[in-house]
Amino acid sequence: MDTQLFHIFRNTPTGRETFLQSIYFCHLLGASPVVYVPKHTKFLMYFEKDVVQVDLDGSYLSASETAEKHARELAEAEGLEPKFFNPKNFTASTLPDIPVDFDFMCCPRSISDLTSKIGLGYIGSRVRRIIRSARFPVLISSPSFRQWHSVTVFFGGSGNAVNALKLGVRIARKTGVKLRLFTQVEAGMTRDDYERAIIESGLGDDMSEYVDDWLLFFGGRLEENLYDVPHDSLLVVGAYGHGLIRDILFGSKVETIQSVMPNNLMVAGPNYVDHAV
Amino acid sequence: MLKGLRRLPSKLLTIQPDDRLTLMVAGVMVGIASGLAALALNRSLEAMLEFVHHLSKYPWAFVVPGLGAAASAIFLDHIMKEGAGHGVPEVIYAVSRYGGLLRLRSSITRLVSSCLTIGSGGSAGPEAPVVMSGAAIGSNIAKLFNMNDRQRVTLVGCGAAGAISAIFNAPIAGLVFVLEVVLGEWSIVNIVPIALASVAGTEVSRFFNGNQIAFSHAGFDIGVADTVAAAGLGLATALFSILLTRAMRSMHHVSEGVKLPKWGRAAIGGCLVGLLTLLFPDVQGEGYHAIREMIVGAYDGAFQLAAIAIFAKILATSLTLGWGGSGGIFAPSLVVGSFTGLAFYRGVTLLWPSIPLVGEGCFALLGMAGLISGILQAPLTGIFLIVQITGGYEVILPLIVVSAVSTTITHYFEPASFYMKDLVDRGQLLRPGTDARVLNDLSLGELIEKDCLVVSPHMTLREFVDVVKRSRRNHFPVEEPESGDFLGMVDLSEVRPYLFDTIMYDAVVVEQIMDSKVKHITYGDELAEVLHIMDIDGLFSMPLVVNRRFVGMISKATLLDKYRKELMVQTTDNP
Repeated sequence: MDTQLFHIFRNTPTGRETFLQSIYFCHLLGASPVVYVPKHTKFLMYFEKDVVQVDLDGSYLSASETAEKHARELAEAEGLEPKFFNPKNFTASTLPDIPVDFDFMCCPRSISDLTSKIGLGYIGSRVRRIIRSARFPVLISSPSFRQWHSVTVFFGGSGNAVNALKLGVRIARKTGVKLRLFTQVEAGMTRDDYERAIIESGLGDDMSEYVDDWLLFFGGRLEENLYDVPHDSLLVVGAYGHGLIRDILFGSKVETIQSVMPNNLMVAGPNYVDHAV
Repeated sequence: MLKGLRRLPSKLLTIQPDDRLTLMVAGVMVGIASGLAALALNRSLEAMLEFVHHLSKYPWAFVVPGLGAAASAIFLDHIMKEGAGHGVPEVIYAVSRYGGLLRLRSSITRLVSSCLTIGSGGSAGPEAPVVMSGAAIGSNIAKLFNMNDRQRVTLVGCGAAGAISAIFNAPIAGLVFVLEVVLGEWSIVNIVPIALASVAGTEVSRFFNGNQIAFSHAGFDIGVADTVAAAGLGLATALFSILLTRAMRSMHHVSEGVKLPKWGRAAIGGCLVGLLTLLFPDVQGEGYHAIREMIVGAYDGAFQLAAIAIFAKILATSLTLGWGGSGGIFAPSLVVGSFTGLAFYRGVTLLWPSIPLVGEGCFALLGMAGLISGILQAPLTGIFLIVQITGGYEVILPLIVVSAVSTTITHYFEPASFYMKDLVDRGQLLRPGTDARVLNDLSLGELIEKDCLVVSPHMTLREFVDVVKRSRRNHFPVEEPESGDFLGMVDLSEVRPYLFDTIMYDAVVVEQIMDSKVKHITYGDELAEVLHIMDIDGLFSMPLVVNRRFVGMISKATLLDKYRKELMVQTTDNP
């Protein structure tokens, strides 16, 4: 149980939904929730090559006196003992440093904007930067708590897609849930091409052991094909590629998926390191 | 020869960019950029001071520094959302802990906020903001080129050096300041790019402003009496260095006790400075005008006035920076130092008129070196800065004396410099190659040993002995079979007598021989802390337990092995 998920707790009904999602994830994966109850609206995350300043929405500081109690109650109800994180290092007196050596992080679609602004199709700039820089994947929770009973990996054959598949296998292995691949086949490509990419990335055995279903679409619009993805599935995607332009762009398919699907989304960035369990 | 020339293009194609060369080129780029930032702040300050000067005739003019400081705090906190601070400690912190990672926004925020504070009459200097800005430029250029930590730290140094060199037209001072104060290490890898950045920053300044010496003077004929008197001045400047350091800190604590938003506190501090300015006009702004007067011997105030001006400037600076204004302490230190030198000279000549001292301008200059050396605890910076900004190498001997005495005495009462005091108090000053830095750069994750065999509390000694035979380790974590909870450890050295007593084999179970009160580590524990516990309790390894589950062992042997490797990485001269 040395896998840790980092969660910034918001003591509001919306924050509770996000936290329930974190707890559910920890429960299934056998991970420990590390909970940060912020005392300042700003904090810094020093990644290997970038420093990200997160400016939290003011609601993260609301009812701070009951925040820890609420978080503990929710976690203990699922048999988990949360670890509360207290920053030890400060860049400035009101600017704590948050470690970046967690295995997962959970956050809503935006952590800097008012909840009313958050909706499908919107992922805040801070969340995007965390995804781009972090070695851990980010669980972007659905607006209200929903359980998931399978994992769907979006696999397009690229390096990020391989990352996503590794992550999907890792989750499926730990949780025992069904693993499904989704591929929107690109022009001139065949199933063999994708299979070759999987084998070349050393995931051939995992593929045959864990993947139960492969949704391959040779035509149609991605938005329409996404209807075939179950509503209770955790979506796993790889965002950003390598190279200057790809470092800036989140990825057009990922943008479509996050605009259309209300499911929980697990995003592995370009710096994601696979901690094979 | 023709044959050789024909081969040249193909040879050129095979030239690989060398890391050091890349760093030098990037250093020059950073030096130019930070020089331009320094220049921009200088020009903005000049324009703003000229504008504010027209307002000084009005009776309400004392509120102008308050408005400026409030605007500065609002800009920093609400518009740019940047945590306030003096800039240089933040750069040192980033270099110490995070390989020089600095936010892009820091390259602009301090320039604007300090311009608002100083330009409106607040008592602060523009040097720390330009250091912050230059360092942030360097850090982000390193990020753009995907450089590693060591290269990034060097470029942060290049930015700081370029900025100081440009603002003072003093390349050596920029170089020395960075190596002595910001980086705290002198290595060839750093020195060459930083020196080039200093040159680039200086050239930018000279291109736009000309080769001006900030505080030029007619020249001094230094005698032995001056060098001896410099030791006395060193004592005086040490005293005021300590006073300035403590005044700033205590004022900061006082202001924190006031239940007002930051901008409100900054406004109060600024207004109080405005009121003080009505009595002592020399305390406002960076105060370089007063220094110029003192160095050329044109300051017409009496001894008493010069002495009071020291306290007034210290008070004004504490009110400005301690209450939330933005800026640095470089310029105020120079002003306090020059007033100290002047007052010292006038005091000595008043008491002993026959002593053949060179002149009050020289002592004003020496006082500046003493204050800078004392407050930064950086004697070389003090010496080279004053030599370069005054263009006077002839005063080098008393300069060395005053700087050495001031640094030594200040260090005795304030073991850490103004910039580093907070970092030292929080245990966050991690200089390269030091124990704290090496331990900080190692993580628990890379030290975990997971080859321990787990045993059950209900296992008999006979079964346990079988496990021992298969294991290479002396420690056996005990876990509850159903829940997986960690219950304790069996240490072979503690239970050895039982292992050779076969009668006990079926009579004793693991639960009876395990240590259930074993000290353990968890994620988030600092390695320095872990090592300290091991030393105190004489332990060679400790279990890592997370959420009641055993994760692995952390052993002293592995820790020291990794420690050595990390130390080698930190102390080699490769970029």
